[in-house]
Amino acid sequence: MVLTCGNGEKMMDVKKDFPILEKEVYGKRLVYLDNAATSQKPNCVIDAISEYYRSDNSNIHRGVHYLSEVSSEKYEHARKKVSEFIGASDPAEVAFTAGTTDSINQVARSLEPSLRGNEVIVTGVEHHSNIVPWQMAGATLKVIPMDDDLNVLIDSIEISDRTKLVAISHASNVLGSVNDIKAICSIAKEHDVPVLVDAAQSIQHMPIDVRDIGCDLLAFSGHKMYASTGVGVLYTGERFRDLVPARGGGGMVDKVTIERTTYLDPPLRYEAGTPDIAGAISIGAAIDYMQRIGMDNIKRHENEVYSYARKRLLEMDDVAVYGNTNEMCGAISFNLDGIHHYDAGLIMDKMGIAVRTGHHCAQPLMRILGVEGTVRASFAMYNTKEDADMLIEGIEKVRMMYS
Amino acid sequence: MSDPIQDEIIKEFDGLEWFDKYELLINSARKAGSMAEEFRTEENAISGCQSKVWVRSYTKNGRLLFEFDSDAMITKGITYLVLRVLNDRYPQEILDTDLYFIEEVGLKSNLSPARANGLASIIKRIREIAEGEAS
Repeated sequence: MVLTCGNGEKMMDVKKDFPILEKEVYGKRLVYLDNAATSQKPNCVIDAISEYYRSDNSNIHRGVHYLSEVSSEKYEHARKKVSEFIGASDPAEVAFTAGTTDSINQVARSLEPSLRGNEVIVTGVEHHSNIVPWQMAGATLKVIPMDDDLNVLIDSIEISDRTKLVAISHASNVLGSVNDIKAICSIAKEHDVPVLVDAAQSIQHMPIDVRDIGCDLLAFSGHKMYASTGVGVLYTGERFRDLVPARGGGGMVDKVTIERTTYLDPPLRYEAGTPDIAGAISIGAAIDYMQRIGMDNIKRHENEVYSYARKRLLEMDDVAVYGNTNEMCGAISFNLDGIHHYDAGLIMDKMGIAVRTGHHCAQPLMRILGVEGTVRASFAMYNTKEDADMLIEGIEKVRMMYS
Repeated sequence: MSDPIQDEIIKEFDGLEWFDKYELLINSARKAGSMAEEFRTEENAISGCQSKVWVRSYTKNGRLLFEFDSDAMITKGITYLVLRVLNDRYPQEILDTDLYFIEEVGLKSNLSPARANGLASIIKRIREIAEGEAS
């Protein structure tokens, strides 16, 4: 597959960079459309992980020896890349975590004293990871209303004295709807309320600049942006420079006595224990890869494939496609009339088409849609219009088997 | 231990491609009829399934009789196969039955706990019912 720029010029053949995409399943070409769950990894990311364990492996920050220096340097270099990638003003604003869920949980734990008994504003499309941690911290959730097309009605945000945080996903993992987070941040700022952006479903699809957006916190996972699983990022802006760490242990302290402990400055204070060093390095490698292709090119190409897939789905009379928002990316959710999403997914699986079915860890949204679950196809940079055609073929096959 | 019903099922699936297997399951589900709405309760529902599955039972002359339903046809078809084997048997017989046909017809991957159709949960529930009756 050759990615093309808007002017039709050949950009780069990206599919060949992902060895798993050459795989056949049940004797058929793998059509991988489960990217909102996790993306596949390009050779350069796999090589970076392998190279780290083959020649650099050592614990970071604490060793005086050669290997520890090398791995510390590579780890910090990855942090710097992330920092530049998201437009942070300083690498110190970037902490490595275990993923989006972990990032959000850490924030919830750190802010718990102010959240308990107060309110967090979310949208109706949130993933459970942007719901449950706030509930666990004792906050009440207030949901910004949506219109019939499932656009979040930004002007309807009701910020009160009890609102301690606005926590919103940039893009929905179910609908692919993109929220206008810049506008939301600007409203929140007027009320001096901080904003956390869950960028798990956007960081791989479009350029992101935290200072332009104006958010105070941003969370995302490595594995959805072509890096490895078990690693993620928490960006903490100026407002949270002195956030109390959620976890204690080695590597995050300044002085420890039996009476009290003082913490290191960010970001190390958020990284208790040995971090996922190889994982962080893999994020750096994935960023290099995405930047080589160009985030604008990725966005343009994906947009083309996404719009095409959506159009073809909408052309089918017996398919309900959920959401029709101003901006969309990544995921498309739908159901076939009279056919359970699970059956549809099983049949498509045997055609080599990997889609996800169920509630996608967004049960409140399923309630809004009035369904138990959906079939979700989600796209990445290596997907093509041919993949979208295969999806349609899969749906036709499902329909045929039910007729 | 050979079981004529299981052998019959294995024979029906023998040599079928995946799509034919699914078609067979869907057709079985269609023939299986449906459970009255009033019995599709939380109590009869089996958790651990992406699709909803309901199973209820009653005894007649010491034998266990089952009714079932699911909102997904393939899950319903699989449940139908399991109950074709285990329906109308004495509780102890159910507990003693080795469901070897599942592997033979290629549904073993459906048995893994991670698999969302919850075949493992369905079998577990049926065994629990039998255990309750056997004791």
